[in-house]
Amino acid sequence: MQLEIKEITKNYKMGTEIVAALRGISVNLLKNEYLAIMGPSGSGKSTLMNIIGCLDTHSAGSYLLEGADVSKMNDDQLAEIRNQKIGFVFQTFNLIPRADVFHNVELPMVYSGISSSMRKKLAEEAIEKVGLTDRMKHKPSELSGGQRQRVAIARALVNNPSIILADEPTGNLDSSTGAEIMSVLDQLHQAGNTIILVTHENDIAAHANRVIKLKDGLVETDELNHKHFAA
Amino acid sequence: MKSLHEIKESFSIAYGAVKANKVRGMLTTLGIIIGIVAVVTTMTAANGLGNRFKESISVIGSDVLYVSRTPWVFSGNFFQFRNRNQLTLRDGEKLERQLHEAKAVNTRTFSNQNLKYRSTVLENVTIIGTTENHVLVSAGAPQYGRFIIDNDVQYKKQVCVIGWEIKDRLFKDVDPINKKIKIGRYHFRVVGVMEKLGSAGFFGGPNFDRQVMVPISTLMKCFGGRNRNFDIVVKAPSTEALYDFEYSVIGEMRKIRKLAPTEENDFSINKMDTLMAAYNNVMGVVILIGLVITSISLFVGGIGVMNIMFVSVTERTREIGIRKAIGAKKRSILIQFLFESSSICLIGGLIGLIMAYGVTQIINAFLLPASISPGIVIIAIVISVMVGVVSGIIPAYRASKLNPIEALRYE
Repeated sequence: MQLEIKEITKNYKMGTEIVAALRGISVNLLKNEYLAIMGPSGSGKSTLMNIIGCLDTHSAGSYLLEGADVSKMNDDQLAEIRNQKIGFVFQTFNLIPRADVFHNVELPMVYSGISSSMRKKLAEEAIEKVGLTDRMKHKPSELSGGQRQRVAIARALVNNPSIILADEPTGNLDSSTGAEIMSVLDQLHQAGNTIILVTHENDIAAHANRVIKLKDGLVETDELNHKHFAA
Repeated sequence: MKSLHEIKESFSIAYGAVKANKVRGMLTTLGIIIGIVAVVTTMTAANGLGNRFKESISVIGSDVLYVSRTPWVFSGNFFQFRNRNQLTLRDGEKLERQLHEAKAVNTRTFSNQNLKYRSTVLENVTIIGTTENHVLVSAGAPQYGRFIIDNDVQYKKQVCVIGWEIKDRLFKDVDPINKKIKIGRYHFRVVGVMEKLGSAGFFGGPNFDRQVMVPISTLMKCFGGRNRNFDIVVKAPSTEALYDFEYSVIGEMRKIRKLAPTEENDFSINKMDTLMAAYNNVMGVVILIGLVITSISLFVGGIGVMNIMFVSVTERTREIGIRKAIGAKKRSILIQFLFESSSICLIGGLIGLIMAYGVTQIINAFLLPASISPGIVIIAIVISVMVGVVSGIIPAYRASKLNPIEALRYE
């Protein structure tokens, strides 16, 4: 079991009022699953994604990531989990503007303390997987949107994480570039990676083989994607 | 190993950040540069003053003791010395006979008289009555002519050796040897001119170049021998032996003065160290005040750095969010920003040192023998890095505490 979430809740304090963003969500995820989380804005999908990505902690319930209980960890331990087990792909790419492609990809390994010769080898491999070997020394500002997102994917891959967490990965891209990025993710899934996709677009969610729909902080539906099995 | 990678990363981030904001970095650094120049220049000027003082009293000699009625420098009550008996010529003679380990002993006495050569008058010049031993105990030697010899002392000859400044004032370009000058009402023949000895006049001390030396016997004959105070100059076998030598001198002097074991010394031992200590006492306070005042400019520079670091943290909130999302710990972010602030300050410190070197050269050329010592260089570098760490710590801590979700959302 890659990920085990049981009856998770999350409350925010907004002034004096307490707002419940998640009201008891349970999700289990197996290795090499390809899950899409959908839902309208305000449904709690960002909150859930932040909790799964260990950027945020839940209020109640339990969350085991590869058997490790995340709820008991402090900030630095969570940082280590993010570094080792989670690969983020953001809607806005979130690359470091002053650093070149190579350095952006190499960065997670700097924080995990891998030697520079090893970093070079692994970063070059990851960059090759997303097809940007010839852009290694370019700054993000010198790349197109699709290329930037590829860099972000390479960065997400490089520490060989348990889960790749993609938050609206095509949200800032035109549809043909978006399709390109989705095919990269599909390939990663076929290569054995576990992927969680957060999106509100049905076409994008269709790439996944399981779709969870959230509504008002609860799971509305959790079903397998029939298209995949029909094919 | 792990933190080594982080430090390397921090270094390249700091370098990139400074490079990316050249003008801002330069202006921020300027504050530190000015501060370091001020502090370093104060320190070198203080060193220079110390060197000048040492130079000016070097003629006293580091291996020489001066036995006198009163100490050169004293704090407190003058009356405790007032009733002491004067040192006599006989005391000097006895000490010379009894103190075997001394390299040389010279007894001196002083008088203040006006000098006159043709129409030029110099008022109130120190006249030293001395013997041929003078050159053995003190550093100076005649540049022209000769010094006083035993024959002069024995026959009370009216000859004199004049200081550098006296020669300059009275004779200008004329050769003074064998010219007659008037000391008080008496005519003296100039037999020698002392080399330039230096002056402590800068510090209110004696001017060794504005002195005239005559045979001690002649001085007593011309300007009175009774009720006259003498001092005895003794040269130690070596500078290292000075400490033990001082005890022998005190012991012999107590015998000469016939002091009972319970009585206190009725004479004082003076030496160059006494003057150095007095100087350090006074100048220590002055220099400390100078350093405190100049440190204020460094402090203001530090505030500038802190300000810029706050801006830098705010500007890079999103970057901090990204770094945290991919696994940077609090410590990594903290080190990153501390590195940035201390690099700015270190660069400022190094530039400041270079400029202070220039200022020191100017001081050296026109005012004082000042120099930048390796100690000052190290202190300046340490201080500038410390200013960087201190002014970076609050912004860096704030950055390290940022919530990654909020930081990622920051526009």
